[in-house]
Amino acid sequence: MAHDPTESVCPVCLNRIAAERVASGERVCLVKTCPDHGTFRAVVWNGRPALGEWQRPKTPAILRPVSYETQRGCPFDCGLCHEHRQRSCTVLIEVTRRCNLRCAVCFAGSRPQDVLDPALSEIRNWFQTAWSLAPGSNIQLSGGEPTLRDDLPEIVAVGQAAGFGFVQLNTNGVRLAADGGYVKALKEAGLASVFMQFDGTDDAVNLQLRGRPLADLKRRAIDACADHGIGVVLVPTLVPGVNTDQIGSLLRMAIGLSPAVRGVHFQPISYFGRYPQPANGSARITLPELMAAIERQSAGTFKATDFRPPGCENAWCSFHADYIVLPGGRVQALHPARLFSGCCAPIPAEEGAQRTMAHVSRQWAAPDRRPAGPAPLAVEDPDGVGRSPASGPMRLEDFLDRARTHVFTVSAMAFQDAWTLDLERLRDCCIHVLDPIRGLVPFCAFNLTAADGRALYRR
Amino acid sequence: MKAENVSPEDLQWVCRKCNRPLEAGTVSVEYMGNQFTTELPTCPGCGFVLISESLALGKMAEVEQILEDK
Repeated sequence: MAHDPTESVCPVCLNRIAAERVASGERVCLVKTCPDHGTFRAVVWNGRPALGEWQRPKTPAILRPVSYETQRGCPFDCGLCHEHRQRSCTVLIEVTRRCNLRCAVCFAGSRPQDVLDPALSEIRNWFQTAWSLAPGSNIQLSGGEPTLRDDLPEIVAVGQAAGFGFVQLNTNGVRLAADGGYVKALKEAGLASVFMQFDGTDDAVNLQLRGRPLADLKRRAIDACADHGIGVVLVPTLVPGVNTDQIGSLLRMAIGLSPAVRGVHFQPISYFGRYPQPANGSARITLPELMAAIERQSAGTFKATDFRPPGCENAWCSFHADYIVLPGGRVQALHPARLFSGCCAPIPAEEGAQRTMAHVSRQWAAPDRRPAGPAPLAVEDPDGVGRSPASGPMRLEDFLDRARTHVFTVSAMAFQDAWTLDLERLRDCCIHVLDPIRGLVPFCAFNLTAADGRALYRR
Repeated sequence: MKAENVSPEDLQWVCRKCNRPLEAGTVSVEYMGNQFTTELPTCPGCGFVLISESLALGKMAEVEQILEDK
């Protein structure tokens, strides 16, 4: 059994404590002992490729200006501090804490009626702060449910005016489905992409996780975005025993909605904010289990060996692969199968961040032009979805013609909670929440809550 | 043959090695594990191809961007 030392926090008191990644076969657990609250063990990786094979080393980015000097050390000095090793590729700006759903799962623990929203003038200042700390980053407007604000188009425009070229909206889609004029205004303000909560292909899942049927509504929201040229990424929160059997059907549905739907981004459940299971956080699906489930449930349309570790964040936080969707719904991987033959030379973290920002802004926005001719937006026969057989090289011109509109990404990000937090990973984080007082706080630190719900950063 | 990457001016080039004028021909190109075919001005003797600046900075650069991993 291999033991690899790192640091974490106690899920009860959130004090920093020593931890070990303990491998037993293909299963790796984070094991740690708090002198006051005992020993905790949580699975962080289970399956192939092995954790040690899944690597993409980086030389740390130099962050200037850094908001906070190191005082108590990671994860208590965020803003960011000198220990941090990656710049922001995405800055989240939380424009409201209100929400129109009361989901069983919510990172932010949002409620239907919460505190007052920040004023537009205040948000303008936030964008300026974000630009000074992370110029050129991608922006995600988040909350709460941002579409509860009637002035969201103005917020998008303010972000654009501050210099941010790619602005994405994180939303449940409820208002987008009902208010075409609002969607149009968002597009005209410069909104490029919608990151849409989308947990399953039927309402049993929606009822369990979101408290109401949403399947028809989500389809209308996707159609509204397609009508106005806003790219849509479907974002399922995967909860073992609730919707982990719908991974394949979700992907088939998404392929049928290409190119309006630009990809599927899976988020295995993390135990912070509000969650349906007991607080010991034992039910998890790790990244290699998810890669295997994608291959199995899609009958090999998407293969586990298609997926690659990220060039931006820590390798153990995510995977991704790109495809083109051919006429009729067959998909073809854009990169050859991953081969592990020892590790690779480190790349500069800054370079990885720049590449990721460009890739995301290109891929998750709507295509520049709608497909020519009568080709429908949706593939009519979802049974036609499958992997394209190797059929010899395509004509360069045919490839370009298709790839300009029908590239499709499949990706996942494993967030960390108080049980799984590995400070080595946290220091490589590139998804940062703008805290108006502290500066930039890594997503998993910002959302971290103790077993009793007490937050480390979120107010 | 459809030869959209081959202009009449391209075919005025002569292969220095074979001393033969270039002709439009189908060639295979590979980038990051992906293979494509396209039509390029080609020497019928040695197979040497001419890639114009506009093709290199246009379609080929676009393919490279699409295939670039993040």
